[in-house]
Amino acid sequence: MSAGATAARETGARLAAADAAGLNATLHWSQELLDAEGARVDAMGRPGPLAALPIAIKDNIVTTEQPTTCGSRILEGYLSPYDATAVRRLRAAGALIACKANMDEFAMGSSTEHSAFGRVKHPIDPTRVPGGSSGGSAALVAAGVVPAALGSETGGSVRQPASFCGVVGVKPSYGRVSRYGLVAFGSSLDCISAFGRTVDEAARVLSAMSGHDPLDATTIDHPPVAAPAPLPDLKGLRIGLPREYFPADLHPGVAAALQRTEDAIRQLGAELCDVSLPHSRYAVPTYYIVAPAEAAANLARYDGVRYGPRKVGPGGDIRALYQATRGEGFGAEVRRRILVGTYVLSAGYYDAYYRKAQRVRALIADDFRRAFASGVDLLLTPTTPTPAFRAGEKTEDPVAMYLADIFVCAISLAGLPALSLPVGLTEGLPVGAQLIAPFFEDERLLAAAAALERVVAATAEVGG
Amino acid sequence: MTIGRDQVLHVAKLAELAVREGELDRLVEQLNRIVDYVAQLDEVPGDAPADPFLPGPPSVALRQDVPGPVPLTRPPAAFAPEFADGFFLVPRHGAMEDL
Amino acid sequence: MSWETVVGLEVHVQLSTRTKMFCACRTTFGDPPNTNVCPTCLGLPGALPVPNAQAVRLATRAALALGSSVRGRSVFARKNYFYPDLPKGYQISQFDQPLATGGRVALESPERGRIEVGITRLHLEEDAGKLVHDRFPAKTAVDLNRAGTPLAEIVSEPDMRSPGEARAYLVALRQILVYAGVSDCSMEQGSLRVDANISVRRPGDARLGTKTEVKNLNSFANVERALEAERLRQIALLEGGERVAQVTLLFNAGSGQVKPLRSKEESHDYRYFPDPDLPPLVLSPEWIADQRAELPELPDARRARLEIAFGIPAYDARVLTSEVALADYFESVAAAGVEPKAAANWVMGDVMSTYNEGGTFPVSAERLGSLIALVRDGVLSHQAAKRVYTELASSLGEEPKVVAERLGLVQVSDEGALAGWVDEVLAAHPAEVERFRGGEAKLMGFFVGQVMKRSKGKADPKAVQPVLQEKLRSG
Repeated sequence: MSAGATAARETGARLAAADAAGLNATLHWSQELLDAEGARVDAMGRPGPLAALPIAIKDNIVTTEQPTTCGSRILEGYLSPYDATAVRRLRAAGALIACKANMDEFAMGSSTEHSAFGRVKHPIDPTRVPGGSSGGSAALVAAGVVPAALGSETGGSVRQPASFCGVVGVKPSYGRVSRYGLVAFGSSLDCISAFGRTVDEAARVLSAMSGHDPLDATTIDHPPVAAPAPLPDLKGLRIGLPREYFPADLHPGVAAALQRTEDAIRQLGAELCDVSLPHSRYAVPTYYIVAPAEAAANLARYDGVRYGPRKVGPGGDIRALYQATRGEGFGAEVRRRILVGTYVLSAGYYDAYYRKAQRVRALIADDFRRAFASGVDLLLTPTTPTPAFRAGEKTEDPVAMYLADIFVCAISLAGLPALSLPVGLTEGLPVGAQLIAPFFEDERLLAAAAALERVVAATAEVGG
Repeated sequence: MTIGRDQVLHVAKLAELAVREGELDRLVEQLNRIVDYVAQLDEVPGDAPADPFLPGPPSVALRQDVPGPVPLTRPPAAFAPEFADGFFLVPRHGAMEDL
Repeated sequence: MSWETVVGLEVHVQLSTRTKMFCACRTTFGDPPNTNVCPTCLGLPGALPVPNAQAVRLATRAALALGSSVRGRSVFARKNYFYPDLPKGYQISQFDQPLATGGRVALESPERGRIEVGITRLHLEEDAGKLVHDRFPAKTAVDLNRAGTPLAEIVSEPDMRSPGEARAYLVALRQILVYAGVSDCSMEQGSLRVDANISVRRPGDARLGTKTEVKNLNSFANVERALEAERLRQIALLEGGERVAQVTLLFNAGSGQVKPLRSKEESHDYRYFPDPDLPPLVLSPEWIADQRAELPELPDARRARLEIAFGIPAYDARVLTSEVALADYFESVAAAGVEPKAAANWVMGDVMSTYNEGGTFPVSAERLGSLIALVRDGVLSHQAAKRVYTELASSLGEEPKVVAERLGLVQVSDEGALAGWVDEVLAAHPAEVERFRGGEAKLMGFFVGQVMKRSKGKADPKAVQPVLQEKLRSG
């Protein structure tokens, strides 16, 4: 049996087992589609750089063969009539589309509890969350169901679940991977991003799908991300530790894992230094103005006129159709964010909120620019302030949930490449360290992470 | 409280979202929590750069005016909730009859 | 007491591109519904806009033709509202940073002579789809073929003072845009649409009155009619001690009345913000200069040039430049070396009437030139030439001379032939010959007429006279 067919059969078996175990990480897959993917890959003249690599696709990236629901009732059963550019490129590189992965509805959430199709369980501890919003993709990689997966980032939605689940999650520079076919949430922030068991796997996926796309005016005309040349050490690199990202109340296990990572970096010959990113403390509030404002407009198209399930409310007119379709189709968190986004753009409030947030965003980005200009090659921070939290712990307080993204948000606002690398366990739960690179230095980021990955004991308990 | 019930209802109307009476109070409370939280940006001094930050290219690349093939693997009829004779259908609306 | 009317117009013109503003769908008019659609113009999940270079070029040309200053950096913005003809729930337009600002349109006011109307701004945007209300019972049908078609919106200053000026502005604006090759400006196909803002005030009052907006204006004549109706409605309200409410009205061409539109939204709060899918539109000074250099000659300049270069009256120049094609045709005819005023008369007469009917020139400019030359050279009379023109219009490729000969219309100026007819005429009218010789010189006209009659119009009247003189004197 050839590679594609074998991968299809084995992946199907693992997906079935994961579903049976109640991980709830997939939304759509079938053995039939997998087999067809395997056959397609086997029929390819040349196997391609991702030959027979099964990849899970977050359900906000459109595919013509499986439904794309974004974890929402409002797109239940929706079959896209076109494929996302990233999906086309992965398939052309020989990858198999394994399944569509569960997610927070429209990528709004940090725990994958806001899926209309049920929460995703943490692969290590089912009472905990896998992080979000790309929790399904992260859990599938962490559970060994697929070696790699696509997620999407708006404000940390790949790095944060990668950290919680103990896998590698890479967010490329904004504009490096086409958003064509990624269902828009916050368009100035959205990035299709990659999960892998290793830096190399994530990098190969990124490499295959990155590069300019004439269908996305925000992609930058720049060659695709090159698969990183392996570095023997990190000699000559200066790695900055932004002090705002190491608060006194940081979870002790996270602090210990980061300490150990710093030691590993020193052993590899890099120099560590303190830097300051003073405006990063405003990243979460800035994000929660910019992203909902963009989302409120981006989600206006779900109106029950052209696609998706339609509901008609009392009165039976077009307004009743809109209000019922949207009122019933969107879940609570999505509705909250649409309302916030509409509010901050509405007459009389634009300057106080949206314009202000745009200015603070510029300040946040400028902090990073200045840090890198001062001779720092990369930045190191914890990915999350705590390991995976318990399901239900933050669902009642939206702001508490938003703060789970406190270390990842600023990077999204600045459009920078960053990744989360597993660097240890605390009480059995993974801890991730975040590396951040200057704009379009994705290759530097991946090369350094691959070197660090070889020496850091990702599966060793740090205590704390 | 920064946002009152009427304001939430007004915003919901702009966003065409039905809000059930039973969930309104809770929504008002949550939105206030969020809006009060983001209001901490007021602490940032006003000398921030005037130009907004752009994460992507500094200027938009244009497309040549050349027709492309219809890139739909399935036609509108296949995904429309109501479709007849080539048209999407919606309930007839009073104001629209005037137009 | 009198009232002063104040009018400003918002004109949307469809730019003459092959594809839509933000996707590669065709802009063809009249195709089956929802066939020129793609993920982008259907507003499907995940689809993105990419601007059309030709739309940017044409809008820039329109702006330059109107004397507007084109900004080196403009920004696309989302205008948010829900309507079934608007697939994304927002329209991509330009808001606080439009493509161009300033400019003016010169026109002949029916009341005030030559005036200039200021242009506030010109911006790029996408069109909405089309709603059909009468096709399905209790349903509105949505056709998105038009959704995403590139438009330039041109907003004037409130510089017009009468419905007639509004109409004259539209005629002048349309002419400029057609000259600039920006749009075909066909109101029938909806490629030019007008919304009018109107208010009234006492003359000398510096403040503007409360304005209303009039929509559904589907011809220039209806713009004038609707504004007249709305002007009178506002004056009647004010004179009755009432106030004008700021409303949107629809014009009913059948009844000639305006009536308030039930509001689309309770309040218009479009929540504009920069479209994050589209980086700023940056145009270099060099590129803008190139567009300016490539701009064809515009109506005013051409009018002036025709007057000076061809020495034709101002009125003729204005009529001839009303359409680019007409002016081009005139210049080709005049280039054939015939007298420009004769060419102008022909173009404004027979040529324009066939052009207005069919939109074509059935007789090539070169042939019309030869035809006019035949009149000049005395080969054809003016009347005969008109018959030849009609014949040329329905024949293919025959030379005017050949047609004239075939129809037997060529004037005879050969002395031998003329002498024959003259002899016959003199022989038939001995009494008149006597009277002429007795000093009644005015009888010359009678003799010429008789020769023409006898020659069945073929005799060249200019050549007949010397022959008559000769014979009468010598006889």
